[in-house]
Amino acid sequence: MSTNSYNIDIWGLVIALLMVSIAAIITVRMRIGIATTLLWSTLRALLQLAVMGYIIGFVIAQQNPWLVGLLIIFMLVAGVQITLSRAKGVPHGLALPVLLALTLTVLLMISVVAELIVRPQPWYAPQLVTPLAGMLLGNTVSALAVGLSRFFESMRERRNEIQTLLALGASTWEAARPSIESSIRLGITPTIASLASAGIVTIPGMMAGQIIAGGDPLNAAKYQFVILVTIASLTLIADSIIMLMVYRTCFNQEAQYIL
Amino acid sequence: MPNGSKKTIFAHVDLTVQSGEIIDITGPSGCGKSTLLTAFARLNRYSTGQLALHGISAKQYSPAKWRTQVAYIPQQPILIGETVADALRMPFGMRIRHPAQSHAPNDLKLEQLLTTLGCADIEMQRPIHELSGGQAARISLARTLLTKPQVLLADEVDAALDPDNAYLVSQLLQHIATHEHVSIIRVRHSADDGIATRTLILNPEGLHHVNQ
Repeated sequence: MSTNSYNIDIWGLVIALLMVSIAAIITVRMRIGIATTLLWSTLRALLQLAVMGYIIGFVIAQQNPWLVGLLIIFMLVAGVQITLSRAKGVPHGLALPVLLALTLTVLLMISVVAELIVRPQPWYAPQLVTPLAGMLLGNTVSALAVGLSRFFESMRERRNEIQTLLALGASTWEAARPSIESSIRLGITPTIASLASAGIVTIPGMMAGQIIAGGDPLNAAKYQFVILVTIASLTLIADSIIMLMVYRTCFNQEAQYIL
Repeated sequence: MPNGSKKTIFAHVDLTVQSGEIIDITGPSGCGKSTLLTAFARLNRYSTGQLALHGISAKQYSPAKWRTQVAYIPQQPILIGETVADALRMPFGMRIRHPAQSHAPNDLKLEQLLTTLGCADIEMQRPIHELSGGQAARISLARTLLTKPQVLLADEVDAALDPDNAYLVSQLLQHIATHEHVSIIRVRHSADDGIATRTLILNPEGLHHVNQ
């Protein structure tokens, strides 16, 4: 990274907070009950990002592969917790499948993007590996939460249809398939939309960050392309894995619907 | 037999059905008639009991295989697909009927079956959402009949039909019982249509004969 980057001083943060306050005041005057949530979320974001900045700074300074691994494990566990708290109307006992899906895709992300494409020195380069894992998790967690909510909602709506399908000799997979399809579609839609709009409507966050930090825009574009495409594929893979593990929980050994 | 998580709705059901027999099950609403039929099809998670077909225990069959032979037709017809033809052929896209073990019936066969059910006026390409309740009920019955089960569990299939069409349905059921030796167990509320070989009443102690 080159040196002509622009830092944000403390007044920059104050101005940003001022913007939030103005927005909050407007919503209060319009009697839209969102100001408290907005302010609370802003403080959370400030605190969490600051902590994340310190932690990643520390991990980068240490250059210790175990520390990188520990940080990623922590991110995975938090990812499971956020997925399950965001997914509405899902049964208990999904923590393990979600953890498995997230872990597998993060490992794939690191192997493919870091070790196969970028090939950093050392191989565990924290400044590459941790943001990669973070960007992937941010996307998969949303996709899984939306996908899981939609899946169980659909399975409940289709209760009579599922009974009819089973009565006609359908396997549990065949009976669940329409719900699996609609949930994967819904979960992956924002990711695919972000692929299609990248570079026209939006400058994706990562590319924007590299350019602001003084990086070569073309290089930033290559990075962004690799990241977007792998995130899209891995989100789809995570979604498929979770559905394969979870659809069975809607049936018992006798292939009866038990939701 | 069925044992709900909250209470027992009936127990000690003991029934032997001969091939080609038509049995009517009656009883007050909520006595568990539909539950009993779903239990026979191994579709009821709360029921326990022993089932056998031609002396072979249900345990020897996979649930899906059993259900293709002991076919439950739900009270509420649910048709899946865009058109009537799609809905009727849907079961033939399932793995259990793959590959060439059973060919999907051609249009001619579908039309013949619908004619015997009083649905001659329904075109194969009609969207299923344009069907009336009575038409949907008969398409649902036809869909199961095309899969050629050995036992038919019909849950009030003629409840939504006018007397003329109810008569056609009962004629067809009697025909397949006599000529194709299909055993039929019906849950009915309507007046006796004269085709049942036995009528049984379901109550908490089990199934009992009605003296006619």
